[in-house]
This record gives sequence, C-alpha cells and structure tokens, in this order.
Amino acid sequence: MNQAAPAPRENQGDPVVRIDARLKVTGQAGYPADIVTANVAYGALATSSIARGKVSELHTKDANAVPGVLDIVTYGDLDKTDMPKFGNTGASSIGPLHDKTVFHDGQIIALVVAETFEAAEEAAMLVRADYEDERPSASFDSKGVKMEPAAGKSPMFKEDAKAGDFDAAWADATVKIDEKYSTPTQHHNPIELFSTTAIWQGDQLTIHEPSQNVTGWKVELARQLKLDPANVRIVSPYIGGAFGSKGPMTARTAIVAVAARRIGRPVRCVVNRMQAFGTQTYRAETRHRIRMGAGKDGRITAFGHEAWEVTSRPDPYVVGGTSATARMYDYGSVLTHVSLVHADRNTPGYMRSPPETPYVYALENAMDEMAVALGMDPVEFRRINEPEKEPIGGKPFSSRSLIKCYDQASEAFGWSKRDPRVGSMRDGDWLVGMGCATAIYPTAAAPCAARVRLTADGEVRVQCGSHEIGTGVRTIAGQMAAERLGVGMDKISVEMGDSALPPAPVSGGSISTASVCSAVMKACDAIREKLFAAAAGKGAPLAGSANAKLDLKDEEVVTETGKSAKLADVFKAMQVGAIEEYAEFAPKGSSPEALRKLYAGQSEFHGGENDEDSVKYAFGAEFVEVRINSYTREIRVPRMVGAFAAGRIMNTRTARSQLIGGMIWGIGQALHEATEIDQRHARYVNRDLQDYLVPVNADIKQVDVILVPEIDHQVNPAGVKGLGELGNVGTAAAVASAVYHATGKRIRDLPIRIDDLIG
Amino acid sequence: MSDAKISSGLSRRMFMTASVSAAAVMPLVNSPTRAAQPASAKPAEPRDLSAVSMRINKQTYNLALDNRTSLLDALRDHVGLTGTKKGCDHGQCGACTVLIDGKRVLSCLSFAVMNQGREITTVEGLASADGDLHPVQQAFVDHDAFQCGYCTPGQIMSAIGCINEGHAGSEDDIREYMSGNLCRCAAYPNIVAAIVQARDETRRA
Repeated sequence: MNQAAPAPRENQGDPVVRIDARLKVTGQAGYPADIVTANVAYGALATSSIARGKVSELHTKDANAVPGVLDIVTYGDLDKTDMPKFGNTGASSIGPLHDKTVFHDGQIIALVVAETFEAAEEAAMLVRADYEDERPSASFDSKGVKMEPAAGKSPMFKEDAKAGDFDAAWADATVKIDEKYSTPTQHHNPIELFSTTAIWQGDQLTIHEPSQNVTGWKVELARQLKLDPANVRIVSPYIGGAFGSKGPMTARTAIVAVAARRIGRPVRCVVNRMQAFGTQTYRAETRHRIRMGAGKDGRITAFGHEAWEVTSRPDPYVVGGTSATARMYDYGSVLTHVSLVHADRNTPGYMRSPPETPYVYALENAMDEMAVALGMDPVEFRRINEPEKEPIGGKPFSSRSLIKCYDQASEAFGWSKRDPRVGSMRDGDWLVGMGCATAIYPTAAAPCAARVRLTADGEVRVQCGSHEIGTGVRTIAGQMAAERLGVGMDKISVEMGDSALPPAPVSGGSISTASVCSAVMKACDAIREKLFAAAAGKGAPLAGSANAKLDLKDEEVVTETGKSAKLADVFKAMQVGAIEEYAEFAPKGSSPEALRKLYAGQSEFHGGENDEDSVKYAFGAEFVEVRINSYTREIRVPRMVGAFAAGRIMNTRTARSQLIGGMIWGIGQALHEATEIDQRHARYVNRDLQDYLVPVNADIKQVDVILVPEIDHQVNPAGVKGLGELGNVGTAAAVASAVYHATGKRIRDLPIRIDDLIG
Repeated sequence: MSDAKISSGLSRRMFMTASVSAAAVMPLVNSPTRAAQPASAKPAEPRDLSAVSMRINKQTYNLALDNRTSLLDALRDHVGLTGTKKGCDHGQCGACTVLIDGKRVLSCLSFAVMNQGREITTVEGLASADGDLHPVQQAFVDHDAFQCGYCTPGQIMSAIGCINEGHAGSEDDIREYMSGNLCRCAAYPNIVAAIVQARDETRRA
C-alpha cells in the first residue's frame, strides 16, 4: 500500500481504486464539452465593458460581416422566455438579454454563433455597445452601496445567532480581543472551462454542461424556456472540477438553447477563462469584527462576531457563517450580526465551504490572538473551551471528536517541540513558525433516489442522478452496492450525471456521500430482502433460515452457520434474471413534501444546526509549519498535518485525497488567491490563471491526513458525515497563526503576501 | 507570446489576425511536403484554410484548417481526440499538454499549421492496444493522482516529458518541473508520488 491508500481504521472502508480511474488516465472520460456532436456551431459571448447603466445601442454589423457567422442572439431574442430566478437552482435573477440594464461588468450582451470557433471569437470581439453609463459601486468602501441586515433576506439565513447577555459579559471580561479581519474576492477557477452544448430534436432539448445539479437545472431551464421538464435533459457524466461553481445554473444555458433553436443546429459555447469571472459565480469578499472576552482561567465568557458580505444589486446572496462560529466553543455569551452590502457586481455563489472558510478564518485567528493574550498554548485554550452542548440552542452534538483530532494531529506534527516564543525558532536564513486551527463543517443530507439492478450473474448497475465532480461519489456508490450485495467492484457499473436518472440533490454542502449512499443502501437492502425471502423459502436452497440472519458474500447468500447458496441458484429458484429496486431516501425530519420536491429539482437539506435532536458537524484540527526567509520574506509551507473525524469513511483513498485537496485550497486562501477589483470601474482585473494565483506543485510539500475513527448513527443511515469541504476550513487561520509565530506580525487580511511581512 | 501583454479588449485571436498569421504559415513554406502549400501564390489570409498533414498517435491526418486554429482545437474539434483538454487557451494551466516530436508542448499555444509533418502524441496514444497502461498512467491510478480528472491528460503528458528530460531526479525537481500544470483539486502530493514510481519503473525497463 502506498500513501494514497491509507489502511482503514474502525468504521472506515477500503481504499478502493476509483471506478473511473482508467477512463480518466486514458482521456476517455467524456466531459460535457468533449461530446462529439455532428453539425455543431460554435458560440462566443460578448460582454459589457461597464458595470452600471444601460445599453443604449448595440452594434452588430461588423460582427455579422465576419464570414461564417450564423446568428447573433441579443436583446429581444429571449423575450419569449422567462427571466432567470435567484435561489436554490438559479445563480442570479439578472436576465442579461431580457433587459438592457447593466448590473455588473462583464454581463452578457450577445451570443455570436458561427461555423467555426475562430469565426465566433473574432465576431464576438466586434460586437460593440453604446452605454448610458453610471458610476458603479465596486465594494464595501464605495459610495452608493446599499447595506442591510442579512437575517431573513435569504431562506438560508433566517436569524442572527445569540445567547446570554453579551454586553454584560464583555464589560466584565478580564482579557479582551477586539479585532477586524477580512477575506478577499475569490473565483473557483476549476480547470474545466464552463460550457453549454444545446441539441434540439423536435421539442426535446438536451444540454451537455458541467453541472452539480442536473435535476434542478432540468426543471429551471424548462421553466425559463416554457417547456415540459420531461422534454429537457441535462447531461454531465464527468465534471472537471466544480467547487460550487457548477451548482447554480447561469443565464447562459437558456441563451445557448435559444440560439440552437434559432439556427436549427446544435450549438456549443465554451466560455473563455476571462469571461467566466463575470458570467459565473464567485466567493464575495467579507469583513469581520470579532470581540472575545475571557477570564484568566482561559474560559471564553463573551463572543461577538459581526460580519459584512458583498452581493449584487438585485440578489440577497448570503453565507452567514456565524451559524457555525457561534456554535464552535463553549462561549458564555454570544452576539452576532451579519450585514449584506449590495454593490454593482455579479451575484456571488457558493464556493467550497462558503460560510466556514471566511468566518472560521476570522474566529480561529481570534482564538490564536486570545491564546497569546492569555499566555496559553493554543491547543490547550481550545481544550478548555470544548463545549458539552452547543451554546445557541443548547442541543448536544450528534458526535464531536475535535479533541481527538487535536491530540492525534498535534502528536503527528510534533507540536510539543514548538517553542511558543515569537521568532524563537529558526533554521539558517529561515524563520520557522507553527500554528493550528479548528476545521468545522455542518453534516447534512437531502432526499435522494437510486435504482440498483442485480443480475443472476452478479452484475450490478447503480443509477443515480448525482454528480462525479472529483469527489469519488461514483466509486463510493459502487462500493456501497458491492458491500451490500456481496459482489466485487469488477461487477459494478455506476451511472451518474444525467437528469434522466433517478433524481439526486445538488452536489453541494458535502451532502452527496451521505445522501447517495443512503439511497443506494436502501435499494440494495430491498434486493437483499427479496433474495433472502427466496433463498429461505420452502424448497429453496437455504429453506428454513431466518431472513435476518442471512447475508450476501462473494456472490452467495450465506447463513450465520456457514451454509451458502450461489446467487445464480437463488435466481433460478425465483425464476428471474434480474432484480431491480428503486429506492427513495429522505433524511429524518424531512417535510412531507421533501420527496415530491426532489423530483421538482429542489433539494431540502437536513442536518447541521437545524435538527431537533442534536446539531451535526464534522470536525478537524490542522497544524501548519511555515518558513519565512529572513531576507526576502518569501513564505513557504513545508508541511501540514490535518486530523479529521467525519463519521463513517466510505473509502480512505478518496477521503484522503479530498482532504489533502482541501488543505491545499487552504494554503491558496492563506497565501495566494484574490481576485483584484478595479475600484473605479467595478471590474475584475486579474481574470486569468496567470494572475489569479492558485497553488502550483512547487508550492506544496508534505501534506499528511489522519482519518480519526468516529461512529455516528444519528446523522443518517449510512453514518456518513461529508468531508469534501471540511479540509479547507481553518487552514488559512493556521497559516496566519504560524506566520505570527515566526515573525510577530499578525496579518488579519487575506491573502498574506510577501509585502505584508516587509518592514 | 503572453496574453497578459496584450491590452484588454483585443483577444489573442484578434491579435493573431493582425500580426502573427504571416509567421504562422512560415512552416508551410519551408515544409518538405510541398503538397501542403496553398495553391495560390498570394500570401494566405488569416481566415483562409490551409492544408496541413501531421502524424497523431502514429496515424497520418490530412486536414484543412483555418490558419488561426490552434493545435488543441484541431485535435479536439477536427480530429475528434478530446482527451486533450482546454483549461485556459492561454498557456497558463497545462491541461492541453501534448508531446510534439517527443517534447512536451502546450497545444493551445501552437497553431495547427505550424505542425506540418510533426509527430504528435496525445493521451489517447499512450496505452497499448492490448490494454496495458503506460507506466505513468498506471502510476497515476495507483497513487490517486487526480480527483476530477480534467487536468490529468495534461499532467500525464507533462510527466512523460519531465521524466524524459531528466527533470524527475528528485521530488523537488518534479515539483518545479511540473508546476506548469495546474491541478485545482490539488492532487499535487499524489502526482509527485506517481511520477517517482513511473520514473523508477521507466529506468528499470
């Protein structure tokens, strides 16, 4: 076994190789823009060069004159369609071609369709607009922004969390921290470009587009185009990285579909990297003020978290991470408040751990500052404030292994060798710093359906309209079926990423493994029931055995006492060739409409802080070593250790890979990523992969993951907590703490760059 | 040519139509296979089609392509080999890496017409007909050196180039010489481990 395949510990599944690994290393995995389509025409977008105002006139003559141009879709051409909606499925309420109002820079003003990609791009550059432009408001400090309380503006964020008498506790606190933190604008930048391919056959529309929500998109696109959802199909079997960016459907999908209908040919539009910054969603910049009061004993008596988030003019997108920070430790009192700041920007959207990444960054930084103020070890400080129950609703945690995570990670990291004095650890020209932070992510699940078929030959086909965005969910769903049906992985095929399959929820919020596995398990268990009843029936191979005592292993029905019957013989006795079961899973506490809503493309999440019985979270502890060159201030991260407890681990290989990826995302957040904004024009400046910095191979050295065993039967039938978004929560704060330890400089605004450490 | 140096509002392709097209057809003029030359004596217009012949995965392809067509788009849209991926079209991400005459090249920054007579290898050309994976492909499977898999063809082609160049001597070398290939899922530690394994196997072979 190599490092990529950790030996499973208690309640952890085998490091099975990805079911689609061979396809991915041979170039045979078909991503949506790879689908070979006959007679396809190419689309290219033209986008606005102002951020606020109106298009007074659009000039398309020059563009139309380019040889090979077939059509230019622009204002008026979408009038027979309905406006996009902002919400669960739709990225924004802005319908760029429905209305000549410009809400943000880089808003779509036309789609050019041509015989070739080259002609489409050339012509799109020749589309020009005259504008009645107004001075835009770019961000927090711009004149003309509108600020409002976030609570109640979005169904995702109903109220500001509070507990106890913060003001009194704050006034009485012996040791106080009152600091401001900020996180920058970030774009997901998956390496796969955004694309839409629209193919009409009569009234039937097929869309090939990378999507984290094929069922939701089917219903939403049908609404916009006034079609029967049964006539719309979204196909997205492989997705080249998503991180949230392919969850909400943008306005482009309907525009490309309209273009294809107009010219009577399939149209493919691959959005270039630069235009994606304005036409897709992103993580908006945030600001935080944290007030923390503690006694000399290290117990936190007062926690105040105020935050501000940027959104677009029309849409109240809010992440509201105070719901997690307010429940993290055993605070004596809590006061939180989140504000939304509407600016002339495209609507933000969810990006890997949307609330936790910015909010926990602020909290964990403050935790380190408070530990320093108390003269206390940062790990010990967290241990002292470990809660019995969450402080807001007084509910227990379904399970909470944070201290175990700290113990195992700190030992592996060698935390005891850290000299706490600032600037005390040095290796030649390099200043060494060590820091740590907590990772937290809510555990949720949503209704999900799956179909499983088992044949007499032991072949298993699993069908579920979930999405393989790189998480390994296709493999894990197959593993679940292989385990429940007692066959090898070589007998398993798994179909995903198609709205024609049984519906699954949006692949967001780290819910996929829990939701999909629970549905697949239910379908498999129904097959088991049938097989066992047949195997134990009168005159059957295992006649007289009790159903409950049977199991499936190695393509046999086996009894506790060691008797067995071949699967083929049981099928023979049943006189069938295959058993197929369709199962629907709904999490405990689901509304009576939850399953109906699943088919309507709406994902009803359950879990996190919203359940009656307990709050459900996965936890982790991350330790980081930084080295800062004493002359150049170059910052390196030679090693990181993260320990995570997330209930049942289905596959230690894919779990480790996701957590490593998350931790490296955390390095990116700490040191690299920021979308720069031209404040005069409300325009993104560094709109490509050369200037939008992400970690490259040379930025990363040793990254170790410890999968801490944890059993939690409360979360869902599969016992799984999601971990796709857990890994990058807290990392940036651990880096910031390590930078402080090395240099004595407390950098509260991300990313931390060389220039922050000079002087 | 770096796109960052072109002022905004002028795309790479516009820039090419303005200034690079003459250079782009140069290899045709110098080409040993004279049949590939345009019939007319007048200089080719940017939008003209040019005949180009190249070997892709040991098979000859004769194509008529817009002079502005990148090798990447030729592979994907004209030859139907979609294993090679487009991640930026600007030479910044490495997803489109292929081997040209054995050397790793970003196919988005190479005009198809510049590759007259060249030998192109894409990810589809690596696995042998009997189904055995190339040692680098197998190592990527063994070490879970990808998640979404989108950058993987480029990583694999680049890794082959990196090993062939002798730049896989140490893990630090591998990190440095693989840093032109972005992996947003951040499988970097696994990619390094995979290349070490493949390097050792290649040396033994």
